[in-house]
Amino acid sequence: VNVKNDLGIEEEVKIVKKRQPIPKLDEARLLSAAGIPKLRKISKDRLRFKGKGHEFSDIARLLNTYQFWLDDLYPRAKFTDALVMVEKLGHKKTIQMMRRAWIDEGKPRVSEPDDY
Amino acid sequence: MDPHDEDDYDATLEERISAYLFSLVSAIGGSSAEDDGRYRAGEEALYCLRDIRKLITAFDIKKNRFDVARAAAEANLVQGDLLELLAQWNGEEHDSIGAHRTVVAALEILVHLTWPIEIEPEDMTVNHHRHLPYLRLSQAEYKRAILHHPSSRILNSAVRASLPAMAESRKERSLRDESIIRILICLMRNVAALSHPMNVDTDFDDAEVSRSAVIDAFQQQDVFQVLLTMSSSTGEDFVDQDVILLETLFHLIKGVNVEKLFLDEQKLSSANTKDFKNLLNKEKAMLAGYTKTAPTRHNRFGTMIWIKREDYKVHTISGQDVLGNAQRSLQKMDKTKKWNKPKYKGRKTEGVDKESTEFDRITHLDSTARKNLRTFVEDFLDSSFNPLFSHLRRAIEREEKRVERRHSAQFFYVVSWFLQAECIRRRKIRQAREQSKGAGSTAQQEDEGFGLIASVMTQETFVLLNRFMQRSHDDKLWTDLKASMRAFTQILLTVQEMSESPSEDDQDIAENILNRIFYEESTHDRIVTLLRSYTTQGFSYLDAVTELSHVFLRMLERYSKQNVDLQVRSKRRARKKKKQVEVETDGVDNSTVDRAEEAEDMAEAQRTVSERKFDFTRFAARFMQQGSVDTFIAFLKFYNDLNEEQLKRAHRFLYRLAFKMEMAIILYRVDILYLFNKMIKGPEGLDSEQASFKEWEELIKQVFRRAVKKIQERPELVVEMLFSKINPTLYYLEHGHEKETITRA
Repeated sequence: VNVKNDLGIEEEVKIVKKRQPIPKLDEARLLSAAGIPKLRKISKDRLRFKGKGHEFSDIARLLNTYQFWLDDLYPRAKFTDALVMVEKLGHKKTIQMMRRAWIDEGKPRVSEPDDY
Repeated sequence: MDPHDEDDYDATLEERISAYLFSLVSAIGGSSAEDDGRYRAGEEALYCLRDIRKLITAFDIKKNRFDVARAAAEANLVQGDLLELLAQWNGEEHDSIGAHRTVVAALEILVHLTWPIEIEPEDMTVNHHRHLPYLRLSQAEYKRAILHHPSSRILNSAVRASLPAMAESRKERSLRDESIIRILICLMRNVAALSHPMNVDTDFDDAEVSRSAVIDAFQQQDVFQVLLTMSSSTGEDFVDQDVILLETLFHLIKGVNVEKLFLDEQKLSSANTKDFKNLLNKEKAMLAGYTKTAPTRHNRFGTMIWIKREDYKVHTISGQDVLGNAQRSLQKMDKTKKWNKPKYKGRKTEGVDKESTEFDRITHLDSTARKNLRTFVEDFLDSSFNPLFSHLRRAIEREEKRVERRHSAQFFYVVSWFLQAECIRRRKIRQAREQSKGAGSTAQQEDEGFGLIASVMTQETFVLLNRFMQRSHDDKLWTDLKASMRAFTQILLTVQEMSESPSEDDQDIAENILNRIFYEESTHDRIVTLLRSYTTQGFSYLDAVTELSHVFLRMLERYSKQNVDLQVRSKRRARKKKKQVEVETDGVDNSTVDRAEEAEDMAEAQRTVSERKFDFTRFAARFMQQGSVDTFIAFLKFYNDLNEEQLKRAHRFLYRLAFKMEMAIILYRVDILYLFNKMIKGPEGLDSEQASFKEWEELIKQVFRRAVKKIQERPELVVEMLFSKINPTLYYLEHGHEKETITRA
């Protein structure tokens, strides 16, 4: 009896290289520092509009902001594709909760009536 | 037999069948040396034909194979013998029973061989796959041979052969007579239905089997007359033939543009010239758009630029087209990305594809064919529309055995086509009358009410249509749904035409019909649901559904303005309300009279159907939701392929949404803004020469202005713009404060 063979020592061990997983644009990525928090920061710091008479250039600048932001967040996808993916993520429960919270943050703090 | 040898078995069986068939075919007849090489039937021609018929029944029909059909195509049975037999037969030989029988037998085989082959993909066998491509080609060849037989009028012979059977009144007809009539009408259907298989070259010109050729042949060989006769006496002399008549009509008119059909020759040519000019202009604008960004130097000029960002980040982009234009460099940056998000391409089933293209493909007719078809359509409307379609409706309702699944959709398609034709015809008559006012105008046309199409404007039809619409929506049969939506749109438009008619009767009837349509709340609900439930059904579905909701909404608005106290029959919450009322009355007093009323109320409430006042603004608000906006935006994405009318439709919807209903907030989504920006500023934007460009520019500008203002007011919108808004926050974002909810005690 060949003990060595039984132990499987002499057989060559094949190493199958695992494929590098493709990075996904998911909730975690969207909520990470490079995601929506960054977008909020950008919009606060850098977004300026010229107003009446410059409607198209204002919106173009806004769109560019989004495009750069998405390119940093998920360089793999084209702008319109990425928008679709992000929109779809917006239906997830966690994101919806965050969205509510972000809006509530912006709400004017009215002195709430005590006898509500 | 060894099961592994099945292929060999098939092969030998096929060989035997074809050998037998060949011997039969050669025995039918041939060109004779005595009569200058003219065709002469053999002694036993009739029996040979019957044997072939038996062979077909035994193998092709019973065993669901194509062996005999294939062998017949190879033996040149149709062109060599069947058509020659038909051509040779002339009316004079009426008396000779034998000759008549031979002709009928030949027709019978011809009908079988030209029968359009439709097999569900899951029912295909190896045998089918082997023979189908060959057979499709040979069927196109048959069609050509039937339409263009050199010496004779084949279809006319077929008609004459079945005349004796048709002349018999229905009660007197024998089974054989009925089957002869059936053979004739099926042959007409087959000739109309067969089309050239796509993407295959043949030896002959495509025009020889085109729709124009069919229409001309039908006109010349009196087939139209037969069709008119049969359909005008449907229900009396002809009963079971109705669905095949419907199919014939469907295959004759599908894809034909009604507007163009009714244009005068002169106007048509000018319209065509205009179309051509528009196309050229469009192309010119497109090319100009390209040259604007095209490189001015050779392609190895090797320009490279950086885009500097914050944090010392840099994007590198090559190509001179991006120089000096930040916008363009961003587009290029995006375009060079290699990965595309995988898209849902729809189910790939052959049958479904064929069906949907059958409904949507546009057919062009040449001028004689157009004239012929137009005469036929006018005659049909005058004589046959009501009898045929009311009969068909009843057959579909009763789910007769002869009615197949495809027939309902065809029914609604043909109905909507003819309704459109009638409206256009009336409009033309009116115009002609206005022009020739003063001169002896034809008085008789004035009386011509909408009676000609009355049979489809009945409550029964609406019920059937509603049911069919609902069912095809539930079963996800989009082609059927499309047909029914088109029919409904067309009915609404016809009613509108009716209400504008000078005759007061017509106006009353129109009012009545609208009352009935708008009374059912379920109809309102269905339209909203249809519009909101678009997913991936494709452009023609989008076109149908947006048109329907556009027409419906517009007419409903006008109607509810005229009839302020419009009531609708609503099914919801009836019970609860009743109970509430009861509780209130119970609290006040508790007499016995009330008890009786209470019981009555309860009975009423059990029915759970109640009437309530219709509020248009509330209804319109239901249209203004994310789902319907998404549908219209999906439609608008095809902006460069839309015509003026379609663009207008989308424009009106968006205008209503943004400014009348104050719901522009739904539009503040990055992909929608991106689309808007692209439409106006390009690249590949809307043609700025186009008539509606200014309207669009204004609308989009206003939307943009408001969007910018909103963002400045509420910076949190920057994040929300990525997503579809959710209902709880929608109102706050638009108005800046919570909706005051009225809490019910």
